[in-house]
Order: sequence, then C-alpha cells, then structure tokens
Amino acid sequence: MFSDFDFGVIWRSLPYLFEQGMSFTLTLTVIATIGGIILGTLIAMMRLSSKPILSGFAASYVNVMRSLPLVLVIFLFYFLMPYIGQWIIRADRPIQVGALSSTMVTFTLFEAAYFSEIMRAGIQAIPRGQVSAGYAIGLNYREVMRFVVLPQAFRNMLPVIFTQTIVLFQDTSLVYVLSITDFMGAASKIAQRDGRLTEMYLFAACIYFIICFTASTLVKILQRRVSIVR
Amino acid sequence: MAMIAIDNISKWYNPTFQVLKDCTTSVDKGEVVVVCGPSGSGKSTLIKTVNALEPIQSGTITVDGISVTAAKTNLPNLRSRVGMVFQHFELFPHLRIVENLCLGPEKVLGRSHDAAMAKAEKMLERVGLTKHAQKYPGQLSGGQQQRVAIARALVMDPICMLFDEPTSALDPEMINEVLDVMVELAKEGMTMMVVTHEMGFAKKVADRVIFMDAGEIVEDARKDDFFGTPRSPRAQAFLSKILAH
Repeated sequence: MFSDFDFGVIWRSLPYLFEQGMSFTLTLTVIATIGGIILGTLIAMMRLSSKPILSGFAASYVNVMRSLPLVLVIFLFYFLMPYIGQWIIRADRPIQVGALSSTMVTFTLFEAAYFSEIMRAGIQAIPRGQVSAGYAIGLNYREVMRFVVLPQAFRNMLPVIFTQTIVLFQDTSLVYVLSITDFMGAASKIAQRDGRLTEMYLFAACIYFIICFTASTLVKILQRRVSIVR
Repeated sequence: MAMIAIDNISKWYNPTFQVLKDCTTSVDKGEVVVVCGPSGSGKSTLIKTVNALEPIQSGTITVDGISVTAAKTNLPNLRSRVGMVFQHFELFPHLRIVENLCLGPEKVLGRSHDAAMAKAEKMLERVGLTKHAQKYPGQLSGGQQQRVAIARALVMDPICMLFDEPTSALDPEMINEVLDVMVELAKEGMTMMVVTHEMGFAKKVADRVIFMDAGEIVEDARKDDFFGTPRSPRAQAFLSKILAH
C-alpha cells in the first residue's frame, strides 16, 4: 500500500527539519518553560497573598489566560505587542516586534498561567507547621518561601511540571499561524513543496511521539527518584 | 526580671469564639513552667503567641523586655532568640539533618558555614544523634526527629525555649529519650515554657505549673502547691483524671 510513497524526501530534508525546525521548537519550549515557571511561581505567590490587590490581579490574569485558546493569544499578542511596546516606551509609532520574539513572550505569559496553578497547588500542599517552623527560627517571609516552602513545593510538583512541559512542547506547533519554521512548520513546508504530504506528516507524528513518549517515561522514573522521604 | 511576661492577653478566632481570655502570667529567667489542661483549653495557642506565631487582639507580651505585640518590633530578630519545638517536629524534610541545623545560623544569624557546622555537630552530639547528620528527617524515628528539632532550636543560642506538646505525637517508647534531653536542658538553667501532659516531667523539673481551661488560666502555682492541693475544682478534676493510673 505504500508503493506510491517516497520516503526519500524525509532523508533529504533531515538537516532542514532538525537544524531549522526542531532547534526552534526546543528553544521555544525551554524558554517558555523556564520563563513560565519563574513568572508562574511569582503569580502563585501573589494569588496566595493576603493583599486583595495582589491576589485579585493574579486570579484575573490566570482566569483570562486559561479561558482563551492559545492560537488566539498568539495572534492577539502578535498584533497587540507593537502597540503595547509603543505605550511602554512612549514611542511615536508602534514598535517593531518580530514573530520570533513575539512567540517567546506569548508562550511564556500563557504558560505562566498554567505553571502558576501547579505551583499554587504545590505551595498550598506544604503543611502550615513548616511555615511556622521557618518563622520560628527567625526567617522572614521571603526566606521561608525560598528555603522552606518553594523547594518542597517544586520537588513535589516536578512530575506535573514536566507533564505540562510535554504539553507545551506539542503546543509550540501552533506557531505555524505566524509562519514560523518550527519542526511542524518545516515538515509542512517540505511536504507542500515536494507534494509529499502524507510522508512528511507521518514522519513528524513519529518524531513527536518518540520525544513525548520518552519524556513521559522519564517523568515516571523521575517521580520515584525525587520524592521527599517523609 | 521576667524573661517572658504575658499581660492580660485575649484572642478571638472570629468575633464569636474567644480562645484566650485575659491571660496573665510570666516566666522568670531560668524558670521552667509547665502549661497543662484539657485539649482545646488554649494552651498551645498561648505558647504560640509568645513568639507571635499566633496574633492576639488585646494585651501585651514581652520577651526579654522586647514587646512581641508592638508593630515596630523586628519579629524575625526576636524569634531567632526564642527556641521553639513543635508537636509534629516540623523538620524540613528536603534538607539533611545537618542542613536543618545550619539553616538558621547561616541565613538568620549570618554565621559562616564552618561555624554553623561546628555548632550543629556539637548540638547533635548533645542529643546523641551524631551519626545521623547526613540523613534526611524521614529516615529517623519520631523520637530522633524531635531531638533534632530541639537541637535545631539550640544551635541558635536561644535565651528561652518554648515546647508545644513535644511528646504528644510520639510512640510511648520514644517519649523518654525526648524528655531526658529536656530535663537536661532544665537542669542547665534554660528558661522553658512547656505545654505537656507529661506530669512526671512537671514533677521532676518544673518550678511552676499553669493549668488552663476554656481559654483561661485557672491555676498558676508553685509545683508543690499544684500537685499537693490544687485550689480550683477544675484543676483537681483534671489531675485526678490524668494521674489515675
């Protein structure tokens, strides 16, 4: 049944697919994960704050981001960011924001909402007595967070964080809407140029599967190794 | 002079439920005071107000002459001088025993890592756990964890120690190893405020016993008077129940 197929096209386009496509996909995944975790942790701490302004802002942010489809947010930020930038630096005209930097910022902001919910659950799961014990030895709020609560919350949530990262890795394929060449975009371009749609999409699917399946297997192993002895 | 002076404090959990009612007492330097009473009497809440882990709505508390309740008090600074031991140990499970002991001295007191380590080893030796220094809290028994918790308070060179039911979460065979450390501390002249049901400990080392019920300090007496002839019927009833066996 595969007699009409030409799998040679994959072999010929490998360097382009990985050097151009996959390297962007991975870069975006790493940046959005790291940025998302840092920003998400801050948002989680704001959300748990006793100050209504902070918790209100954080809650609205998370609710808005989680209620919008990612594709929409990618578009919206791409078109909005020049104006936001103009407003921030008080420029005369909308600033230029490239598609690449726009997606980096968008994914970080979008993922921060999801990571903040993960970190919030992680922080809330730390027993109150741990916080009291931190205060009792003279740590202040920041130090209690930094040395006692966040390290435990982060380790407890590590499997969930990695699972979210795997989802993020797949979601990066949505950057095709801005004609960015990620792995999916690269496969798509070759497929259309050479008229080998089925072969390329099959190949892309295999690669996504291998990476994600391997990663989620590693998460399971990791889960057993990082858990804190209680 | 009183090391801990609690003056007429009251605390409400919500406008209707008052957990502490006009409590007044003090602990002198070098004194060991045991706080006892039925569960829900507010004794744990009382001891937690001393280092401001529980806020109060009225009254004042001073520790070593410094107001705990004044808004401008540097609470972290004050707490770093008051050792506290919790019912459920509350060791930091992600840190090794020795790291648990070095966190406060290094981050709060600003001691060097070497100095903190030296002190940690000394205190671990004191509670008899030197060979467990590199383990994690989860690998130790309850009694061992509580001794580490005492050592964690001691490395800060506290001016007084607060114990909140330190043996209540322990299996019976582990209670004594913790009490032994506490008796030792008391004999060395440490100022201690101890919430406990261990009347044997109270008889052995306490100078005074405070009996609480329903948020009130019902009895505050010298040890011998308390165990000899408690004045209040409620304290008598309590003692007859827990000393029955």
